[in-house]
Amino acid sequence: MRVASIDVRLERRLAVWRGTALLVTSGSLLLALVVGGIFLKLTGHPPLDVYRELAKTAYFNWYGFTDTLGASTPLVLTGLAAAVGFKMNLYNIGAEGQLFLGGIASAWAGIAIVPGMPGPLAVLTVMFAGALGGAAWAFIPALTRAYFNTSEIVTTLMFNFIGLYLMQYLIQGSYSYWRDPKIVGFPQGKEIVDAARLPHWNFPADSMFGIAFPPGRTQVHLGLAFGVIAALGLWVLIERTRFGYGVRVTGDSPAAARYAGISIRGSIIVVMLISGALAGLAGAGIVAGQGYKLDPGGLAVALGYTGIVVAALARSNPFAVVVVAVLLGGLRTGADNMQSAPDNLKIPVAIAGMLEGAVLICALGGELFRTHRISVRRVPSNSDREEHLSGAVGVGVSP
Amino acid sequence: MSPGDLASALPMLRIRGVTKSFPGVVANDSVDLDIRRGEVHTLLGENGAGKSTLAAMLAGLYRPDSGTMVLDGKPVNFANPREAQSRGIGMVHQHFRLVERFTVAENIALGDTSQPWKLDTRALESDVQRIGEEFGLPVRPDARISDLSVGERQRVEIVKTLYRGAEVLLLDEPTAVLTPQEVDALFVTVRAMRESGKAVVFISHKLVEVMAISDVVTVLRAGKVTGTVQTRDTNQAELARLMVGREVELSSLRAMGVRGSALLSVSCVGLVASKRHVLRDISFDVHGGEIVGIAGVSGNGQRELAETIAGIRAPSTGSISVASQSVGGKGPRKTRAAGLSFVPEDRLGTGLAPSMSIAENLLLTRPRSLFISKRKVQAEAAQIIADYDVKAPGPDAVTSLLSGGNSQKVLLARELAASGDGATSNHVLVVASPTRGLDIGATESIRKRLDDLRQRGGAVLLISEDLEEVLALSDRVLVIYDGAMVYECDGASADRTTIGLAMAGAIATENSGHV
Repeated sequence: MRVASIDVRLERRLAVWRGTALLVTSGSLLLALVVGGIFLKLTGHPPLDVYRELAKTAYFNWYGFTDTLGASTPLVLTGLAAAVGFKMNLYNIGAEGQLFLGGIASAWAGIAIVPGMPGPLAVLTVMFAGALGGAAWAFIPALTRAYFNTSEIVTTLMFNFIGLYLMQYLIQGSYSYWRDPKIVGFPQGKEIVDAARLPHWNFPADSMFGIAFPPGRTQVHLGLAFGVIAALGLWVLIERTRFGYGVRVTGDSPAAARYAGISIRGSIIVVMLISGALAGLAGAGIVAGQGYKLDPGGLAVALGYTGIVVAALARSNPFAVVVVAVLLGGLRTGADNMQSAPDNLKIPVAIAGMLEGAVLICALGGELFRTHRISVRRVPSNSDREEHLSGAVGVGVSP
Repeated sequence: MSPGDLASALPMLRIRGVTKSFPGVVANDSVDLDIRRGEVHTLLGENGAGKSTLAAMLAGLYRPDSGTMVLDGKPVNFANPREAQSRGIGMVHQHFRLVERFTVAENIALGDTSQPWKLDTRALESDVQRIGEEFGLPVRPDARISDLSVGERQRVEIVKTLYRGAEVLLLDEPTAVLTPQEVDALFVTVRAMRESGKAVVFISHKLVEVMAISDVVTVLRAGKVTGTVQTRDTNQAELARLMVGREVELSSLRAMGVRGSALLSVSCVGLVASKRHVLRDISFDVHGGEIVGIAGVSGNGQRELAETIAGIRAPSTGSISVASQSVGGKGPRKTRAAGLSFVPEDRLGTGLAPSMSIAENLLLTRPRSLFISKRKVQAEAAQIIADYDVKAPGPDAVTSLLSGGNSQKVLLARELAASGDGATSNHVLVVASPTRGLDIGATESIRKRLDDLRQRGGAVLLISEDLEEVLALSDRVLVIYDGAMVYECDGASADRTTIGLAMAGAIATENSGHV
């Protein structure tokens, strides 16, 4: 039989098998690597060698892996910030700005209120201040969304710019409380007190699991624990509490929420505040765990936006957010570490951002295949069809 | 034999052994069908019997998996609806496909590739006018769709199909949205189309209408043809048997016990939404042990009334009380706590959260503690699946994957659970269109549950656009029109014509006092 045309259609899957999600996600990641590989090839880098080196420096090397965990810490929190909103179809694009405000608030706390406090209390106070700062920055978009139905996508995005310029003004544009007056030349923030700094994990001097460790300080700090606890807490809140139930119902169908007497307004405001607080914590973690001061350059590296990618890839599952954050964090670390690699592997740092983008696009595209499948059918040519149709009863119209 | 005789003797459209499967279900199983000119051919069957799938294949929306379709002696295999249209097959869908902001003429021209690049509105309008007159379809070509009633919109759909040269018209459940008077007008049109030699395929599950309008009836059950009969040789009982495969009697159910005290009192309720009076001075009581039915054409305030009683909307004026507790405007939870349950018209999306499981949906209208426990509802969901014969894999099945009947059973079970399971109840249940889109089996079971609550002393307010249903169950019938109660009568002795007139707004509001 001659094939005249091939009929390709998308059909909805009746039931989504759990494994499909994993398969589609892995497939999307693979496709993203292929797309990235094409770019690498075009810019004259051997893709396979680059990827191998990237993986080695980011994951399969203790220094690299701890660097990755350090870089992932804020991503875990901004990822959770985006994920909690996604649970009720609330798109908080403002984790970026909320992170800045968290940084500003925690730096202030670290300079102004914690001196004299014992270590643990100082740390908690600084982190709490960060969460509060982030939540405050989310509060106004939350109110306008809840009461005037303004798009939170637009308002939170605008607030990112206000937050960014506010932060830059505090350090570079004025002699504010946050700026260190003693430093002349390039303006820098005032350092927070020692007690408020997040402790780092140090390699044990000898060995663990039979592997010898080189001693020394790593990039892994207590902020990671905040991230993991936040993931656990968020899961319990969403899946196991009355409030989380209301959030899920509202996300699924606002009409059902209204019918059940669930306060949609209340859910919007609380979810936005939680989201902002998580992003604020990310900012506080950077201030108290990495820079020890308000450092616009260290904070404004698109951690909030990448958090959205993390949440989307993790399909808003808090535990998956942790895993995906580590994966994407590794991309950043790997690209950074490869600056010291041989020339043909020295890739631009921007390649990490490009790969992030490719991963997101492939994952969002892949989402379609999680819920749908492709059916390909050969349609017989016209003359064929006529013969069949005019023949006996019950001949196949299409195979 | 003259060509004309030949044409009338041979079927215009001949379908043999057509099969169409969807994942998990065979929608049509080697269906044979002959459609003749000048004939009204009904496809009768329950929901899910495969009528719409068959029609969709005729209209080019689906392709058959196997089988043949021969139109005027030539085999056809439509790739899309446009191809079917060009061969003279047109479909009027149950859900209209009209652009509200366009005029009638613009809608008719929309997507019609034979139109010139610059629309000749005058020629178009005169054509529309002419078709309308010929087939008894009065439409104003320059009227905007948004200003038209449902019946008028349907006329536009029919004119659109005729304008594109349809010789075979597929009407998918055309009477579902019409008042009795509008149905009569539609039938005049259908007869005119038959007289002019067109073939009309009428899809329905309403036996009375089928008997009234069709020449031939083909009955489908579970995707198979169970019989093709001439209307003059059959009767409703035989068609019903062919349709469901057993003798069924959807008999009327009435109150047996004594009428109790007023459990639901609605007094002088008015509602203004978007500066429009949606409800006007509505007053009635529903007593224990009775079902009060509210009939009306959709969009006359039924939805708003139900939502106001259920506490989802706050009334602008007036008061509502449940079991002597004032609840008006206190919100859904307080209203429920006073003893009222509500089964909304929109099951999936309002009554049930679609992507949540059956078990999780049980929590929707329950008082919830700070931490929710899934284990308790899990067992209850399993119990409901067993008691109500819900076809679902288990308590964790997502409700959006259930059929209409099964999701309605879950919803009703959840709402009835609040009425207590003892011999008596003083619970109020508000149900909106409880059996819409359900097959006879599910309809029967749902109606029995409503009757059961009544016999136990509960009060049921039944709001439905299906007049048959209101008449079959209600002890008293109220008619709502334009947000006001315009007519009241006893359920058993109700006069259909008068109710039809009231539904169409032909009876003024003199009867709208306190009932």
